[in-house]
Amino acid sequence: MNKLAVVVTTPPYSNLTITAIDYVETALSLGVDVIGVFFYQDGAIQANSNVTIASDEYQAIQQWTRLHQQYQLPLHLCITAAEKRGVQCDSTTNTEQSNANEVFTISGLGELVELSTNATRLVQF
Amino acid sequence: MSAFTQQETSAVAESTETINTTKALALINSQAPFACSDGKDSLDIALIFASFEQGVSLFFQGDGVYQLIDKQNGSLISVKDYLKTFAAFEFYDIEDIYICQQSLAERKLASSFHIDNVQILTVKDFAVQLVQHKHILRF
Amino acid sequence: MTTLHIVRKSAFSSNDLAQCLALATKADTIVLLDDACYNVNHPLIAKTLNEQPELAINIMQTHAQARAVNIMNPIKAIVMEDLIKLTFTHKQVITWQ
Repeated sequence: MNKLAVVVTTPPYSNLTITAIDYVETALSLGVDVIGVFFYQDGAIQANSNVTIASDEYQAIQQWTRLHQQYQLPLHLCITAAEKRGVQCDSTTNTEQSNANEVFTISGLGELVELSTNATRLVQF
Repeated sequence: MSAFTQQETSAVAESTETINTTKALALINSQAPFACSDGKDSLDIALIFASFEQGVSLFFQGDGVYQLIDKQNGSLISVKDYLKTFAAFEFYDIEDIYICQQSLAERKLASSFHIDNVQILTVKDFAVQLVQHKHILRF
Repeated sequence: MTTLHIVRKSAFSSNDLAQCLALATKADTIVLLDDACYNVNHPLIAKTLNEQPELAINIMQTHAQARAVNIMNPIKAIVMEDLIKLTFTHKQVITWQ
């Protein structure tokens, strides 16, 4: 069984992210087991629920949410990359402070190790 | 005189051959060390893979070769000098560190690095080593 | 098995294509994606087509068309499904971005 893991390093307002979403969605529609998407570097900005993209532009975060809901696609957010980019992940005590979009699982680089161990291919965008 | 019987020895030899020698990850470093965080982001991945005992090799190509040059001092420009962490590679069992000869020559750099154990490879051998890995990431 | 090289930047402003081609070996596949579509007119691609004809060069059709880039033989237009298939018919994937 082909297992695919994808690393996303581009922000939600970049056209480059659309390519990544297109790739992931096409893989899913072809029946590829996409075991997870790991958001690293500027990719972590995708998890910032305060990001507002002009309504006449491509809504990357909505697309990730849709894929997550439709395919149970795990979206892993690298906590270190997220925090330095203003995505507050502390949701334990003060949930008002957290602006991390809840469709993303708060993870660390260890998750990337896990994904790469289980994936037959790891593709970077 | 070997402590093993001939049968035991050939059984070991056989099993070694069938072990998958593909390493888990190759990291290609293509950026110079300070102006962007790619080098540090790549290093963080290298160390986590190594700490999970996943074989990782480091490749330096293009401007990435600047990360290995010695006598650098990031503190002069208030940069947290993550290059110093390279000294820990041996401790993490990161042993395969490759640098592209062509990239060094293009930048007129001497083969003077701040860590030991760096292997200078021609582009051909660089490519040969790269494909010995299950996955390849580039920063 | 061979390597799939995904190139995403214009070679007129980035070194990525040059670094990629330095390492690409025959029977590898190169896919031009995003701004790398502009590379069809770059001397490195012409040189590669001449000197390494076994190296397949593909281009993402919509990405090229969006940029008014003409796709000419032997560069092959592909769609995203092809890229997924290429991902699994090659042993490794390297993204040059």
